[in-house]
Amino acid sequence: MIGVLLDGLVQGLQLALLGVGITLVYGLGGVLNLAHGQLAVVAGVTTALLIGAGFGRIPSAFLGLLGAGLAGVIIDRTLLLPAYRRRGEERLLLALILTLGLSFGVDGFLAYRYPSVALTLRLPVGAVVLAGVRVRTVSLAVAGLALLAFALLALFLKRTLLGKAVRSIIQNETGASLCGIDVGRTRTLIVGMSGLLAGLAGLSQGLFSNLGPEMGPEFTVLALIVAVVGGVRSLSGTVIAGLLLGLVNAVASFYVGTYLTWILLLLAALLTLLVRPEGLLAYWT
Amino acid sequence: MTGRPGLGRVALVLGTGVILALLPGIFGTGIYSLRITTLMLVMIIYTVAFNIIFGHTKQLFLCLGALAGLSAYLSVILMRELKLVPAAAVAVGTLGAGALGALLSYVAARRGLGIIFVGIVTLVVSLIFQNLLLGLRRYTNGETGIVTQGLGFGLAGHTAAAYYVFLVLLVLALWVYQWLMAGRPGLAFGALSEDELTAELAGIDVTRYKVLAATVGSGLIGLAGALFADFNEFISPSIFSLAHVDIVVLIALLLGGMRTLLGPVIGAAAFTLIDELVRPFGQATVLAYGVLLIVLFLAFREGLVPFLRRLTRIPVP
Repeated sequence: MIGVLLDGLVQGLQLALLGVGITLVYGLGGVLNLAHGQLAVVAGVTTALLIGAGFGRIPSAFLGLLGAGLAGVIIDRTLLLPAYRRRGEERLLLALILTLGLSFGVDGFLAYRYPSVALTLRLPVGAVVLAGVRVRTVSLAVAGLALLAFALLALFLKRTLLGKAVRSIIQNETGASLCGIDVGRTRTLIVGMSGLLAGLAGLSQGLFSNLGPEMGPEFTVLALIVAVVGGVRSLSGTVIAGLLLGLVNAVASFYVGTYLTWILLLLAALLTLLVRPEGLLAYWT
Repeated sequence: MTGRPGLGRVALVLGTGVILALLPGIFGTGIYSLRITTLMLVMIIYTVAFNIIFGHTKQLFLCLGALAGLSAYLSVILMRELKLVPAAAVAVGTLGAGALGALLSYVAARRGLGIIFVGIVTLVVSLIFQNLLLGLRRYTNGETGIVTQGLGFGLAGHTAAAYYVFLVLLVLALWVYQWLMAGRPGLAFGALSEDELTAELAGIDVTRYKVLAATVGSGLIGLAGALFADFNEFISPSIFSLAHVDIVVLIALLLGGMRTLLGPVIGAAAFTLIDELVRPFGQATVLAYGVLLIVLFLAFREGLVPFLRRLTRIPVP
């Protein structure tokens, strides 16, 4: 049982990595990126291709991450520009359709061009015993990477001037730009960062089991669920929602099976949207 | 407001029906071409319905596949398990789809969800539906799907007759559309899609008209879906997936032009043509759909019918 809970927490961290990207971009850009999961897949496929081309694992993973970040930057600078020219609901709708189109474009391209590329990263040591509990090294590695990423993100947002600028844009875009903050460039940075986070989630999937080109929609949906349950505006809410859903996922998969678990997660998102659109955990975060 | 469509509009609906009725004569009555044209009719019906829901009342329903699939699976399962007569089973399926659409629309309107959140809620609903299809293996056969041969009206055995059945359904759908738009609902739709608050202040029951649009649209989609299950002899989760229904209908509607009578017809017909052209590329069709959606939404948001209006200065309906 402790093993299941531990798995759940690590999966939760992975979910949180996915969700935080959506929340950041939604909060800052007023855009819901439906191609978010595809960025995770881009990182994974790039890494797999580089490893296949003979590069080492660590440089490949690094370049794969950069690839996802770069993809985010390119999306922000090209596809989303027409959306940024509008405000409020108009912008959301336009960006929603554009990123939906992009997600289909990426899925179709990967399925067409690289149907059988899959990323499987194996760690040299399988498991270690920590305080009497057998823990997979993968879980430790993924948890470590995710916590490091969150710590860096928190430091960036709370301690640096640029982070303050980001938070001020989240609060009020017009006000921030009146204070001399370059909204466009900050946004590009954040979309790039959300790409990096998605890429990290993709790579950790490669560590856990394997990541194929067809997993984009699944990642997007998971990210969306986590972000929605967390309240799409609050980062800490998203992280907590990720952990919670990860636990639910692990326990439910253990007892009732995968399909019911999926339905459970989706129902959680549905109920949150209908009952408390501001997020299930809005009081605590 | 008489609440009755003008004579010109009636002629137009019937004329569209007559032109489409001639298609089998033009493309031949081979099994393949009849199948493609019939699928086109189904797609047009979906698009006409989506035009009412999304075009006129701005409810972004991303669960069209789920609505059609709910009706299809419901009717097939009722016929198989309870030996219900086809007409009753199709009616129950249609009512089921209409009720789901009405429920979603009512809850969304009551909760004051914006257009995007309606989109997400309905997206989640279609994912739940897909997972239920996979999970309730005992009734749905999971991914394998159900062979519906021998159940229903046997539309598959009479391809030419099936074409005209769907054509009648399409003319009926256009008729309902025209009837809605010519009367009070049309006025209410126009007002509430411009500004909900103002419409509400002007005494329009926004929730009621939104639910009306969603119910009629979803019911139409359900009816077409149930008959499609009969025609196709086979249903599976992927036939009713987001990629195969919702995206296609969204593209068709954008291509043809929202809030027009002929837009859905022209858009879905044009899309069928494009789809036939890219079919040889296999998996790349999904890529083509994605690119098409982006390009259309960016560069050609008005759609073909409004474009023709501007070009020819004829008020194309």
